[in-house]
Amino acid sequence: MDEEVTLRPCDLADVDDLYEYASDDKVSAWCRWDTYTNKEDLLNYMKTCMIPHPWMRVICYRGRPVGSISVTPYTGADRCRAELGYVLASQYWGKGIATKAVKLTLETVFKDLKDLERVEALVDVENFGSQKVLEKSGFTKDGVLRRFSIHKGMVRDRILYSFISTDPLV
Amino acid sequence: MNDDLRTLVSYIIYCYSHNHRPNQFIIYQLSEMNHDEKHQKPKTPTITLRKFTLSDVDAFMSWAADPRVTRFQRRDPYSDPADALAYITTHILPHPWYRAICIDNTPVGSISVKPAPGEDRHRASIGYRLAYDYWGKGIATEALKLTIKAAFEELDHLERLEAIADVDNPASQRVLEKAGFKEEGILRKYVRLKGETRDMVMFSFLLSDAV
Repeated sequence: MDEEVTLRPCDLADVDDLYEYASDDKVSAWCRWDTYTNKEDLLNYMKTCMIPHPWMRVICYRGRPVGSISVTPYTGADRCRAELGYVLASQYWGKGIATKAVKLTLETVFKDLKDLERVEALVDVENFGSQKVLEKSGFTKDGVLRRFSIHKGMVRDRILYSFISTDPLV
Repeated sequence: MNDDLRTLVSYIIYCYSHNHRPNQFIIYQLSEMNHDEKHQKPKTPTITLRKFTLSDVDAFMSWAADPRVTRFQRRDPYSDPADALAYITTHILPHPWYRAICIDNTPVGSISVKPAPGEDRHRASIGYRLAYDYWGKGIATEALKLTIKAAFEELDHLERLEAIADVDNPASQRVLEKAGFKEEGILRKYVRLKGETRDMVMFSFLLSDAV
């Protein structure tokens, strides 16, 4: 299974594959964005955000795009840290694909992004699937940040996870 | 002779003039109160919060030019009052919530509340600094308490106040705890400070904590 999960930069030609999960309510429920209803909007997002992004990869399973993963650095005095985000088509949940994608990311991102020392992830307290992905990838739970962020109009508690450049890859 | 000692003496005189045996427990209580009076920590001076004006620049330099105060800040100490004046003009005066911590209307420090960027307007972070000569008197704690109350009253939709303190800054951590903040965790390698990446302790105070 391991060899079947690969990461590569995003290409505009990926729009059809990405649209399959971007238009899925089950997937967008945990994401900051709302379900896409047309490919033009998604293409626009790919052009303006995914392709110029400092660190963004498409997650491929057996060569086919099934999700994406990104590490977004902060700026200035906060440039030592970056936020991890990932999304996976729902029919591929529960197979360890996201965990493999996170592990592949941690292997290279500290070399790819200058100044980076800390990768962090904010996960909803009720998103148990994502919590497991991070724990299996070697992240440490820093703590619960109460009433931290607004998600789909609701204020939510979030768990903050971190992986430091010197932490062991698992 | 203070009031408690006066009360103690009056009680003893009363007992003997009325042929009562003094109640040992009452004697003990009154003498303890007298003892506490003498050994109490100095009271925190009365502090107020107000907006800055340009004429506060000299007072501002009393902490902003001091390396002991700027040790855990991103900026280096100011050496030129002109730079301080520029900072007051471009950063402090237009800031959404920035106050001078005053004793007798003279600023001895500052405290600010900065709403989170983007859509998370329910969340804001607090920062504060105090002139070195005023440390250890409970002033920062008092300023925090006043700020918590004012921030939740004045800032619409605010639900979460947060603050971070360097792991090597226990004085600031204690100030936050005394003001009622709850520690949420240690954030490793969180921020760059003067050429070093630092671990920080995250604290929060929620609107629901205020009851």
